[in-house]
Amino acid sequence: MSGPGTAWYLALAAFLFGTGALGVLIRRNPLIVLLSLEIMLNGANLALIAFSRHVHNGTGQIFALAVMAVAASEVCVGLGLVVALHRRRLALDVDTLSELRG
Amino acid sequence: MSGGAWLCLLSPLAGALAITTGGTAISRRTAAWISTGTTFLAFAGAVWAFLSLRSQSGHHGELTTAWTWLQSGSFKVGLTLLVDPLSTLMMLIVSGVGALIVLYSVGYMDGDDEERRYFAYMSLFVFSMLTLVEGGNLLLLLVGWGLVGLSSYLLIGFWHERPSAVAAAKKAFVMNAFGDATMALAFFVLIAHTHSLSFATDFNVHLSSTAQTLVALGLLGGAAAKSAQIPLQTWLPDAMEGPTPVSALIHAATMVTAGVYLIARTHPIFEQARTVELIAAGTGALTLVVAGLVALVQTDIKRVIAYSTMSQIGYMFMGVGVGAYANGMFHLLTHAFFKALLFMAAGVVIHALAGEQDIRKMRGIGALMPLTKWCFLAGALALVGVPPFAGFFSKDSIVAATLGLGWYGYVFWACGVLGALLTGLYTFRLWFLVFPGEPSPFVREHHHTHHGQEGPWTMLVPIGLLALLATAAGWLQFAPIWHPLTDWLEPAARTLAVAEPTNTQEYVTSVVTVVAGLAGIAIAWAVYAGGRARRPSLPFVQRTLEHKFWFDELYDAVFYRPTVALSALLRTEVEDAIVLPTGPDLGRTTLEAGALVRRLQTGLLRTYVLFLAGGAAIVAFVFLLAK
Repeated sequence: MSGPGTAWYLALAAFLFGTGALGVLIRRNPLIVLLSLEIMLNGANLALIAFSRHVHNGTGQIFALAVMAVAASEVCVGLGLVVALHRRRLALDVDTLSELRG
Repeated sequence: MSGGAWLCLLSPLAGALAITTGGTAISRRTAAWISTGTTFLAFAGAVWAFLSLRSQSGHHGELTTAWTWLQSGSFKVGLTLLVDPLSTLMMLIVSGVGALIVLYSVGYMDGDDEERRYFAYMSLFVFSMLTLVEGGNLLLLLVGWGLVGLSSYLLIGFWHERPSAVAAAKKAFVMNAFGDATMALAFFVLIAHTHSLSFATDFNVHLSSTAQTLVALGLLGGAAAKSAQIPLQTWLPDAMEGPTPVSALIHAATMVTAGVYLIARTHPIFEQARTVELIAAGTGALTLVVAGLVALVQTDIKRVIAYSTMSQIGYMFMGVGVGAYANGMFHLLTHAFFKALLFMAAGVVIHALAGEQDIRKMRGIGALMPLTKWCFLAGALALVGVPPFAGFFSKDSIVAATLGLGWYGYVFWACGVLGALLTGLYTFRLWFLVFPGEPSPFVREHHHTHHGQEGPWTMLVPIGLLALLATAAGWLQFAPIWHPLTDWLEPAARTLAVAEPTNTQEYVTSVVTVVAGLAGIAIAWAVYAGGRARRPSLPFVQRTLEHKFWFDELYDAVFYRPTVALSALLRTEVEDAIVLPTGPDLGRTTLEAGALVRRLQTGLLRTYVLFLAGGAAIVAFVFLLAK
């Protein structure tokens, strides 16, 4: 087997996941939050595929495909919400959307 | 063969979905015609299934499984349709009569604010009823059973701004839920013993006698609740709060006869527990007399017909209970025609009088509405069983089938004959009070026509067709001479030998019941047509009948009041006296704890994400430690 070892892939996956998580936590623009979510999902995908190669088993790749489908639908819903916010002239700031506070 | 069955089942569902998703994008008229069109399409599917089953040799029917729906160990349930003689007969009745009634609704509901909702519910009901009759295993049958209960609830309470309609819908739902529960319990017993809910397994297995009795009793509970038989009958008259076409379709022609279908379908179980089957017959005999008596004093035109429905279903229960399945199903068929006809003719009268339902005010309406009058008369004669109308053929054969059973057979027979007398009496009391004679001042004042006609064509055409069927459909079978229906149903539900009367018994019974029916008509004529005889004054009897034998009051006293009293007692004697004084103040402590936890709910997305990430981190940490 050529190329870098599995550990490198996992390190990159963890880095991507961490970056995404940080973005979700600290950014306020819903568009950027969605983007960060995508990065998290792709980090997870990378880990799945790395393991798939590591154990010589295609299951991980199938999982990654399923994750992509889920990601696509999630983005549809998320962007729909963003558009709806914009139409109602609400600020594009997730911190102002706190009506569910107990 | 299964193509027709699937078309029949799915086209009303497609109609309901189209109307629901279309919402306000489609006009009310379009919604009405979508519903009508899909129901007629379902009838076409039923005819297709019938024709292909007929061309099959022996016509034993077949099961089609679309996919395995539920699987748990060895217990498997598929989405299975059954096309056999019994289910095709029911498919034809449900979709055929259903299509005519939905067509009638197009005229009847015209101008209502919520027509779209009405037609979506009607399509949903037709789909549910077809699921019930086509379901190829007991679970699918139960699914249909629950769905017809739901759509009946929705349609009884259709005019939701009327408190009485909402109460009636609730009552019907609760009474039916009782039957659903006993049925579900019966299925649990079956699963425990046979690990299966398929017809083939459950009908050919020999259970212990306790299990047999339990299963049969559970099924009988479901059948009695759905078909409004004593002691679960009180919901049906109240269900008349729904629109009249709903009463015609659900509470006369199809749903309430589902109990009869259930007994005919599961007859191998009932035959193993023969006592329970005879209890079913006894229930029917009792109900047919009691309902006939109560119908004598009702003053609401729809309630008279509703009690008559209970009474006729009593006949059907008696028929399938003694083992004459084909006769019971035959009466179900003819009853669907003439009872839907009576309801729809009554609906035309109610429509023309702007919603009035009191028969004491309607005298002489026939002079203004000749077509409705003659159609109603055809339905009434079919109901009483005057030859050559349909009821004569089907009702007499049920009564005759009881004669082979010994002493209780004679009791059933006597009930049947007494029922025929009562049927003649209450039906023609209604007829003489409403149709003949000079129009009363009330009628003259309130009667209005629809563009100079008795009603729109969508209402008159179904009534005319059903009047033809009510007149002629009986010739389908005349037991002593030809019996195509019995032969047709034989592979699905063979009539028991004990329930096959001799020709002499048939003829004698026919003569006796027809004479009883005519005697009823004669009494009604003497008392109500021009006062040739005085109405007997029996205050106690009258009060008993007006209170429907006090069933509502009894249930109120036995179930409702004790529960309320017990709750009030617990409130004062336990809550105030014991719970509140002891220990910390429970209510306030709970509130304070709630306020504390509430702070976690910040409404900020990031807090939630942080909790999520923290939780995941803790899980990962614990996982690593454990490793």
